[in-house]
Amino acid sequence: MSPSNDLKTILGKLQFPDDAQVMRQIVDHTLQVKMRMGRIKRKIVVMSGKGGVGKSMTTVNLALAFARRGQAVGVLDVDLNGPCVPKMLGMSGRRFDSTPNGATPPVGPLGIRVASMDFLLRDEHAPVRWKGSMELSPVWLGMLEMNVIREFLADIAWGELDLLLADLPPGAAADKPPALANFLPELDGAVVVTTPSEVTTDVVRKSVVYARDVGIPVIGLVENMSGYHCPQCGHESDLFVGDVEAVARDLDVPMLGKIPFDRELSLSCDRGEPIIDSGHPMVKRFDEVAQRIVDCLNFKEILAKNL
Amino acid sequence: MKFVCLNCEAFMLFQKVEKPGEGTLGVEFLCPTCKARFSMVTNPGETQMVQALGVKIGGRTTAPEAFELTRETLKDSAECPVPAFSASAGLAGIPAPSSGDASGGSCPFSSMVASMGAGTSAAGPAGLEWSAEALDRLAKIPDFVRPTVRTEVEAYARTTGESFVTQAMLDLYKKGTTAELAWSPEASQRLENIPFFIRPMAKKEIERMAREEGRTEVSADMMDHAKTAFAKFMGG
Repeated sequence: MSPSNDLKTILGKLQFPDDAQVMRQIVDHTLQVKMRMGRIKRKIVVMSGKGGVGKSMTTVNLALAFARRGQAVGVLDVDLNGPCVPKMLGMSGRRFDSTPNGATPPVGPLGIRVASMDFLLRDEHAPVRWKGSMELSPVWLGMLEMNVIREFLADIAWGELDLLLADLPPGAAADKPPALANFLPELDGAVVVTTPSEVTTDVVRKSVVYARDVGIPVIGLVENMSGYHCPQCGHESDLFVGDVEAVARDLDVPMLGKIPFDRELSLSCDRGEPIIDSGHPMVKRFDEVAQRIVDCLNFKEILAKNL
Repeated sequence: MKFVCLNCEAFMLFQKVEKPGEGTLGVEFLCPTCKARFSMVTNPGETQMVQALGVKIGGRTTAPEAFELTRETLKDSAECPVPAFSASAGLAGIPAPSSGDASGGSCPFSSMVASMGAGTSAAGPAGLEWSAEALDRLAKIPDFVRPTVRTEVEAYARTTGESFVTQAMLDLYKKGTTAELAWSPEASQRLENIPFFIRPMAKKEIERMAREEGRTEVSADMMDHAKTAFAKFMGG
């Protein structure tokens, strides 16, 4: 043996042994995600660049709309630090049912299957805190959260689903969209929620560009809090000044619908008693948004039929 | 991560993982030739990073459990029994790639980082190369539409069989995509059959197809052609 060779020469002669079995486990993780996701027909993320625009409310009501259409729907609450989907669906305090096939998600209204960090916490008010001193490095925290999301994709026994809706946490350039896009290369697209406020639409523009940049197709925009729906007289008036339709035109994305602020809808989410009556005006709005999502996903089929 | 014994020109082999103290790991390696042994010791930050990978260094000794990493690292975790599940059973039918294949480089850590999407380039994995002049011109486009333009230019370049985007290609793209296409009354009428919120997408797609065909007008004939193309795409 000659110790005079440089490292590049030495490495050129050697074959990498995965004797610590790290590579094998990472490959297994990826395959496990593929196996689970392979049983789900459509996967859509609901996202926004801004917090507080109503992503979770939109996710929940879209899930109900698709369930009303007779579809088997799952909701994945990817907001690890502020999970609120279970509360909105009246499922707080529920737990995953652990089986040899993985974790079975609790079933909520209209048969919607839900997975959320909330189901892993000791109680409803417990914050998400990780063991170890997080202040040491934000790098490991980001990596940990990505692997927690990977476990949500890999370990949950969803069964056969027509649609999985993933409610993303806020953040235009956060790490969650690329992580999901990586884990789910066959993602059907993103529904982007915004309010008409210019401050919000400015940030939402960034998130649309960012989503496209990481390879997530944008299905369209939902304008939430597009106005105020008076519970007394039913009249709708503007809450914000802004033009989301112009933003949609600029970004070349379809407008999927406008959802006015409605006290009854807001209270129903807070109480965990979702409105499921298909005659309710807000429910009709979400049914229309759901139909447009279906049309956008079946865009080429519609063209083939109707041109 | 691997260690190389420079004297023997050999990878050192993983032996075992120890926990010599709180927040630290000792990973022992052995040179298969000279039998030299040493231990790599991590500080608390490095230990957390290794744990965050969600892998067991040295391989598994027990079957995986649902939410294993989440439950192990979550401070306020709900207590409930978690039976182990067979990941390998779930993976039946999916061939397992061999270690060190295209799913990552030779270093498991760099592979992990790559699999998480770190370092995603603006061009994406299948992006074309751009000349410096073409990139300068691209930089003048408002940032919120730049990625879309980049994707479209590259798609256009591919249709012409080019793999390198130059200034000339940008000129061709501009000419090809901004030249007004006339719509015949019948074609316009047929476009009205498409729901209004996807009509702009439909118009754009049909015009793209028309330009690819070298047409200057969208006629009823072009609409028939597009309809057939979409039907073929749908497998009809």
